[in-house]
Amino acid sequence: MVSLEQKPRKHHPLEVYIQRLEQGDALLKDTPDHVLEVVGILKSYGVVLDAYSRNLIYIAEHQFLNPFPFFKYFNGEVSLKRLLQHWGHDRINYEYAEYCMKSMFWHGGGGLDEYLDTPEFARAAEKAIQGKWKGNLFMLTLHKLFPDFLPEQVRVMAYYSGLGQFWRVMSDLFIALSDRYDNGEIQTIPQVVDHILQGLVAAANKPITYQVQLRGKTYDILPKSAGLTFLMDTAVPYVEAIFFRGAPFMGTISYNAQAYQIPDEQGAFTYGALFADPLPIGGSGIPPTLLMQDMRHYLPDYLHQFYQNTIRGEDDLRVQICQTFQKSMFCVTTAALKGLAPYPFTTDNPEEKAANRQFLKPWMDRFIESRLETANQ
Amino acid sequence: MTDFVIQTSWLAPLYGLIGALLTLPWSIGIIRRTGPRPAAYFNLLMTLLAFIHGSLAFQKIWGKDPQHLVWHWLQAADLDLTLTLDISPLSLGALEVVAGISLLAQLYALGYMEKDWAMARFFGLMGFFEAALGGIAISDSLILSYGLLEILTLSTYLLVGFWYAQPLVVTAARDAFLTKRVGDIILLMGVVGLSSYGAGLDFSSLETWAESTPIPPLTAALLGLALIAGPTGKCAQFPLNLWLDEAMEGPNPAGILRNSIVVAAGAYVLIKLEPVFTLSPISADALILIGSITAIGSSLMAIAQIDIKRTLSHSTSAYLGLVFVAVGLGQVDIALLLLFAHTTAKALLFMSIGSIILNTSNQNITEMGGLWSKMPVTSTSFVIGSAGLISLLPLGFFWTLQRWLNGTWNVPLWLLGLLLFVNLFSALNLTRVFRLVFLGSPQPKTRRVPEANWPIIVPMASLAIITLLAPSVPIEWSFWLSPNAPLSNYDAFPVQWGMPLLMAASLIGCIIGLSRKPQRMWVRPTQKYWRFLQDLLAYDFYIERLYQVTVVAAVSLSSKMTAWFDRYVVDGLVNLIGLVTIFSGNTLKYNASGKSQFYLLTILMGLAVIFWLLLRGQWSLILDYWSFLAN
Amino acid sequence: MLSALILIPVLGAILLNLLPKDWAASRFRQIALVLSSMILLWTIVLAVQFDPNNVQMQFSEFLPWLPTLGLDYALGLDGLSLPLLFLNSFLTGVAIFSSNRDIQRPRFYYGLIFLLNAGVAGAFLAQNLLLFFLFYEVEIVPLYFLIAIWGGGRRGYAAMKFLIYTAISGFLVLASFLGLVWFSEATTFDYEPLRQQALPVELQFILLGMLLVGLFIKIPIFPFHTWLPDAHVEASTPVSILLAGVLLKLGTYGLLRFGVGLYLDAWVTFAPWLAFLAAVSALYGALSAIAQKDMKKVVAYSSIAHMAYVLLAAAAATPLSLIAAMLQMISHGLISALLFLLVGVVYKKTGTRDVMVLRGLLNPERGLPIIGSLTILGVMASSGIPGMVGFVAEFMVFRGSLPIYPLPTLLCMVGTGLTAVYFLLMVNRVFFGRLTEQLSNLPRVQWGDRIPALVLTLFIIIFGLQPGWLVRWSETQTTALIVEPSLRDTLEVPASVSQLPLDP
Repeated sequence: MVSLEQKPRKHHPLEVYIQRLEQGDALLKDTPDHVLEVVGILKSYGVVLDAYSRNLIYIAEHQFLNPFPFFKYFNGEVSLKRLLQHWGHDRINYEYAEYCMKSMFWHGGGGLDEYLDTPEFARAAEKAIQGKWKGNLFMLTLHKLFPDFLPEQVRVMAYYSGLGQFWRVMSDLFIALSDRYDNGEIQTIPQVVDHILQGLVAAANKPITYQVQLRGKTYDILPKSAGLTFLMDTAVPYVEAIFFRGAPFMGTISYNAQAYQIPDEQGAFTYGALFADPLPIGGSGIPPTLLMQDMRHYLPDYLHQFYQNTIRGEDDLRVQICQTFQKSMFCVTTAALKGLAPYPFTTDNPEEKAANRQFLKPWMDRFIESRLETANQ
Repeated sequence: MTDFVIQTSWLAPLYGLIGALLTLPWSIGIIRRTGPRPAAYFNLLMTLLAFIHGSLAFQKIWGKDPQHLVWHWLQAADLDLTLTLDISPLSLGALEVVAGISLLAQLYALGYMEKDWAMARFFGLMGFFEAALGGIAISDSLILSYGLLEILTLSTYLLVGFWYAQPLVVTAARDAFLTKRVGDIILLMGVVGLSSYGAGLDFSSLETWAESTPIPPLTAALLGLALIAGPTGKCAQFPLNLWLDEAMEGPNPAGILRNSIVVAAGAYVLIKLEPVFTLSPISADALILIGSITAIGSSLMAIAQIDIKRTLSHSTSAYLGLVFVAVGLGQVDIALLLLFAHTTAKALLFMSIGSIILNTSNQNITEMGGLWSKMPVTSTSFVIGSAGLISLLPLGFFWTLQRWLNGTWNVPLWLLGLLLFVNLFSALNLTRVFRLVFLGSPQPKTRRVPEANWPIIVPMASLAIITLLAPSVPIEWSFWLSPNAPLSNYDAFPVQWGMPLLMAASLIGCIIGLSRKPQRMWVRPTQKYWRFLQDLLAYDFYIERLYQVTVVAAVSLSSKMTAWFDRYVVDGLVNLIGLVTIFSGNTLKYNASGKSQFYLLTILMGLAVIFWLLLRGQWSLILDYWSFLAN
Repeated sequence: MLSALILIPVLGAILLNLLPKDWAASRFRQIALVLSSMILLWTIVLAVQFDPNNVQMQFSEFLPWLPTLGLDYALGLDGLSLPLLFLNSFLTGVAIFSSNRDIQRPRFYYGLIFLLNAGVAGAFLAQNLLLFFLFYEVEIVPLYFLIAIWGGGRRGYAAMKFLIYTAISGFLVLASFLGLVWFSEATTFDYEPLRQQALPVELQFILLGMLLVGLFIKIPIFPFHTWLPDAHVEASTPVSILLAGVLLKLGTYGLLRFGVGLYLDAWVTFAPWLAFLAAVSALYGALSAIAQKDMKKVVAYSSIAHMAYVLLAAAAATPLSLIAAMLQMISHGLISALLFLLVGVVYKKTGTRDVMVLRGLLNPERGLPIIGSLTILGVMASSGIPGMVGFVAEFMVFRGSLPIYPLPTLLCMVGTGLTAVYFLLMVNRVFFGRLTEQLSNLPRVQWGDRIPALVLTLFIIIFGLQPGWLVRWSETQTTALIVEPSLRDTLEVPASVSQLPLDP
């Protein structure tokens, strides 16, 4: 009798995946190819994230409110050689990191977003603005005339720093995963998920803070007292903004207001990494191409070899990278869900199981539209 | 040195083309490991070079007589096509505007398209676009201008189709091409006709030709109308106006060019063709009619749009309508001034809204608000651009209209009415947009919006300054182009009351625009007739629907009928004859290959028999011949 | 010298078939490529020595063959034949290059292509009516086999239809020639002497009528065209290239050489009707093309529409329009070859040509982006965008014909407008939009697939920018066609056209 009640009356369309989670598996099917792909791509992603996060933090700390940041991608090392490389576009596409940052900034959510609207932040920002533009009549007049202009820029800087700190952790996590795989410690997808989960748990309460030095003085934009932490104030909003919502790609979605292709509520956006179509990657108006392009340079040999054996080989590398990347992101999502769930998914306690199902339902509803099924094919 | 700079000024448009060619290694995927930005830098460099070269030449030619560079392109029988370039202050000035706006738009694109991996293709197309526009500016030959207009049609297609995977782009690019092409084909008819009448196809000789050649009135009228058709398509005038609305699906940096110098290119050619229109009153009247209808219709359409790009693109049509009217009246100088004033102001407005679209990921003005104090340059640019378009503050349009109404031109009362109408609605529209986007409280999608990056800000600010300086052009302009001597009629009503009335109209427009309750997404007019009116205007008077049931339906129906006729009547008849007379039914359709070789043999044998029949009686001779050879 | 253009391919065909059967197909392809380069080279050698200002036949060869029959082996080269000869040599190379590397029965296949090449070259060179007819017929046989053996699913039907149509065409042409010789009581079928014939006009009507119907089948002109779409759809890509690029030109070449050249008086009377027919054919082809769902059929119907312009120009018979006719032939040869080539690549990679199935092929990673871009360029050339050879040819056709036949010319210009319609519908459906799932695993495109298309594109652009390089070959000869001394008064074409009826 009890067992009958427990069974949901109507099966969720993604019931298979729910059961998979309850068996201790991940959203992504556990196959040797998947392990190879996911670990390989996370390795190159780790390398790219390392560069992104260093640059984001550099910009936040050293290009604060600079109206003409010509050398913002140089991390302070301007030389002729680097300049020529930069002009030859032989470099990491930091534009993508900024794109993610802006997307996260625009969608908001989490403690960081809330803190930026508090009077404490406004005071700190005002101090920093005055500190930066002391004696610059033009900028200070502009600040008077357009009082929200510079504070908004400071908010952007806070997000530069916040995302940079988040990616710092993730990068190390992914590189460590790859090292463990190379040592033979990681052999299944659940192990991958577990590695990520442990990393997230370990960093969960890491404080997110942001100070900037201007003319020798330190300005505390995001003080420790604000109580911002890694998991709830950067990781969760990041997953929401980048994995789920995202922004419509101009190359596939019409922005025409009269066509009503874009929902009027940001919460209804489904353009994120778990939803995006990998096929148009490489085409026009598809920003994630930049990320795939960056990752192609750091693919481990075994993964590159794996791609070479497909029908188009090197020609559709970026699409294949994106497909693999999507798979890996479902592993990361699994880890995040495990971390956020009220009880371990493998629990045998019916009450805990029911509570877990309660927790999973809204997430699973959102996955219906996602690329979950294709990623598992 | 002076001569050298002037003599080589024809190179200026070519720089863009060279830039476009230099993007090829990236755009066709030869270079894949590194990014496409060098292609963009090459193009910027080439455009800068064109700008500098053009500026030098412009300085040198100032105050000098026009020079002509002639190239005999094609001579065949009685046809002698020469491609003539006109190197004059006017044409080099136009070239400067083209190169300048292109330079700014390309710098802007560097920021706007920074996340687009197909940047190389985009810049290649922009270079191509720029080359064609520059060519039109200095072309003195109708055939060259025609060719370049067609190239513009092609590059509009390619630029609108830049995001080819987006569903609405697919139809937008196609419709833009076909609509313009309708105009182009009719223009081609006019060009061929003009050439057949012995006209040299040089703009500068058209006037003498028009005066010296007697042409029957009907022919003159038809010729004139055909020549109008091309610019009508290019300038998005009724009935070929809808493509511009659809073309807004393309990337914004191209939209900056499209709404400023591309539409202007069509009008520029129209201005150069003006002597032909003097041949027949009908073509002049047609120009006035087309221009007026478009000006009124587009002004109305603009105020009902909720898409930020489309609120401005319809107004482009309206202003170009005024240019058409000016050309129809023979007031060529005014037409040029209108073009110039519109070009700078409209380009600036498009730069401003591009910054908004990029930073809000949105084009729906009903979902915006409160951006004013967050985006100083963007909002200031919008204000300056708007002020440049309406005759309230002493900027470009104010002075242009002042020159029009100052008594040296014949301005009929209806024209003043038209100007008042366009001004009123333009002011209303721009303030309406301004209020929705910049004022009020921030909406969810405009809650977190920083000002744009420097590659967007720098060109925008530069163009804002240029727009502020623009009034010097209409003030300094000496009327040297217009064929008829200006009048001096200072008593007419439009002259005495024109400017005050225009300022009043603009002011009223602004007040209405600011005082109307902002329309939000979820607030739709409740009254039935208001709703009907809004939909009617928002969907462009349903002209598209009209095309669907007329032109498109006619072509599609006749093509289906032709295909049916082809399959069942022509081919059916053939099969029937084939089946009945020569072979039995199934053999022809399902023959085995062995049989067909048999038929081949039959035919060859049949031919041999015919030979034999025709030549019998001569066989003995043939045999003798061969035996003779054998011996 | 001219015989080499017939001998090399014939001997080549024989040689290929003498080689061991078990060699790999690609080896035969290489040999064929070498042979076709020799032919092309020889054509270039001839062109270099050719004097464009000479009205007479050049490099003439004369060998009495069957004098009793009036059949002589008489070859000659003039401005009408040289450009077409070049097209033939060049496109044969392109066709061989784009042939499947692993084709079945390679010896026979390449042999047939060379026989075809020889037949066409012979027809363009023949200065004897009967000799022309022989080559005109000879070329049917290899083409028949090329369609019937290496064609698509309904190849038997298509090949048969082609065979019957062209056989009738040959029969009518022969009948016209025989009648001409018979009634003018000439002793020989040699071309030059026959141009002096002075038959009664009524008789000329009949003879020209027969000739025209025969040639209309070949060109093809509505309503004799239905063999063409079927033949193209079933033929393999290289055969389509040769068929559209070269074979159809035999018909229009015949119009100029024999229609205008032999029966000028009757031609002038027929011309208004011919112009009208050209307009009908152009519009008919364009409208039919809009409704097609098979990419190859679209291009095939567009061929019908564009070949009609040659008829229009020939009907107008002004010095300008006749050069234009030549130019249009070259232009159509290059552009249609390019389009068939590209459609062939699409078919090879995707396995379909259905515009309702194909979608999003511009996709840079998984689609055919370069092939797609070249197709866009090709259809733009076909719809007469300036800067490419299609525009120059069409402009000259229209400019040459408008003063003589305003209404048909204007209708043909509408046809040009419709070209953009059907090609854009096709291109936007096939290449724009998102790549569909079933097309997301296409095989790689090799540079070998692209090179011939790139070379053709280059020619299309070069001649579009420098049309003078094409015009110079033919101008003398086309003008000579209509201003023979005896006919000069009747056919003086006014330079200024003001007295001509442009008013409707």
